[in-house]
Amino acid sequence: MSPFLAALWAEGLKARRSRVPPLTAAAIGIAPLMGGLFMVILKDPERARSMGLLSQKAQLIGEADWPSFFGLIGQAMAVGGGIVFAFAAAWLFAREFADRTAKELLALPTPRGSIVAAKFAVLAIWTAGLTALVLALGFAVGGAVGLPGWSPAVAWRGAAAIAAAGGLTLAVTTPVALLASVGRSYLAGLGWAILMIVFAQVLSAMGWGGYFPWAVPALLAGVAGDPAEQVGPHSYVVIAFVSAVGVAGTLAWWRRADHTR
Amino acid sequence: MPLSIETTALTKRFGDVLAVDGVDLSVERGEVYAFLGLNGAGKTTTIRMLLGMIRPTAGRVAVLGEPVGPAGRGPWGRVGHLVETPAAYPELTVRENLEVARRLLGLSDRGAVTRAIERLGLAGYADRRARTLSLGNFQRLSLARALLHEPELVVLDEPANGLDPAGVVEVRELLLSLARERGTTVFMSSHVLAEVDRLATRIGIIHAGRLIEEVDAEELERRRARSLVVDARDRPAARAALEGAGFGVALAADGALVLGEPRAIEAPDEVARLLVAAGVPPTRLAVEQEDLEAHFLRLTGGLTTGPA
Repeated sequence: MSPFLAALWAEGLKARRSRVPPLTAAAIGIAPLMGGLFMVILKDPERARSMGLLSQKAQLIGEADWPSFFGLIGQAMAVGGGIVFAFAAAWLFAREFADRTAKELLALPTPRGSIVAAKFAVLAIWTAGLTALVLALGFAVGGAVGLPGWSPAVAWRGAAAIAAAGGLTLAVTTPVALLASVGRSYLAGLGWAILMIVFAQVLSAMGWGGYFPWAVPALLAGVAGDPAEQVGPHSYVVIAFVSAVGVAGTLAWWRRADHTR
Repeated sequence: MPLSIETTALTKRFGDVLAVDGVDLSVERGEVYAFLGLNGAGKTTTIRMLLGMIRPTAGRVAVLGEPVGPAGRGPWGRVGHLVETPAAYPELTVRENLEVARRLLGLSDRGAVTRAIERLGLAGYADRRARTLSLGNFQRLSLARALLHEPELVVLDEPANGLDPAGVVEVRELLLSLARERGTTVFMSSHVLAEVDRLATRIGIIHAGRLIEEVDAEELERRRARSLVVDARDRPAARAALEGAGFGVALAADGALVLGEPRAIEAPDEVARLLVAAGVPPTRLAVEQEDLEAHFLRLTGGLTTGPA
């Protein structure tokens, strides 16, 4: 077994035995369920009016149909995923310091780079699983609500948008791994993620969101209207840059830093 | 044959703090080397540098003949370690924790996990999650991981931590058998000096980041201060008689008289005769040698601590 596969097996076992992945699934699973609730409200205008503030918010997302529902889930995925994916990344890296096991990963025939790569691979698999869960729940909830406007093309576009939101959110999550490692704590990574979401809101409102990597997934999902207004090729460049910095920085830190804990 | 551990002018500075200052260590194969020091003396920093976890500010480390390089490169498939506190993944069982270690060590022998479990007396706990283990069994799990691949060198920071008296004896016997029968080198730090006294073939004492003594156990035996301890029913009269004969007399904690001069240590019968002649026959007359603890505290200045 290659060192990377050995490390991947170890990281996979640790994740499987932990309660954290089911917790993240429960958290992200709220998105399609809430989306379904909005759709139920939108389908019945009388009932929507009687709901007060909630019905007004629900009106903002448009019609009660499959394209609107997918749009809503994609936005929830982009914003909520920012927190949930950061939680997963922070757990994968900072747990080694919380459990004092980091020192067991340093003087091994398996290179530190393989261990870090395995952690990122598990993060990718984990977040892909969460994205798939949101999609599956979305189809189930949308079907149960009886939304109109279904077609294979609509379903494909919706699924692609949600998958893109998941993939881009994963890409901008890699700095969380770096900060959780450098700060040797969950809080450092999660604090960063929350801060980036706040900045993303502000910069998107100012029209600069396309240049801010953490704003792009939500903008693409249509959280601020037509994505083309802010998102362009430059947005993908900044996302790729931030993602690379997160991965390379984490690798370099584990390989070169003084591990005093 | 290359040394198991060799450091040359090994130095580590954290900002203004000089944690380790020009340490030269040479540990032969098959030795049980005890690395002693007060809290903050630089033991753990040195151990982490030996294992490539901390990069030296200056100096060089070689382990089993291979330099420990940047990015933690080293002969880690032949080295086992337990650094500072024992650690394990709490949600994994004892067996799973060792299985993770087996794979990361690149060990193809699947039976190694079962053998390590049996060797450390963990058979009854093999399928228990690590979070449910007592401190002693947690320590055993960490030792099992350190010895899983039957390494040529084991680096152990406080191996007796948390073990009950039977466990301490068991681990001592295990380490001794590894050293004697397999030629495994054991490099250990410990605060349990009585244990070190029974186990170590060589001792290094680090204080304020500097290696202040490195000596074979036999040589240490010779270096330890000896004294003649004398007691009598009338201590003041006995003291006066001894001082009258030109002996320097100190007082032990229990009030007994302590003579440190060679002429007293080498001829206790003369001291006895002198006291009998003075009418204060001794009730106790014993040549005593300081233990490792007393030797260590004398060298390190007692309870003062170093900078790191």
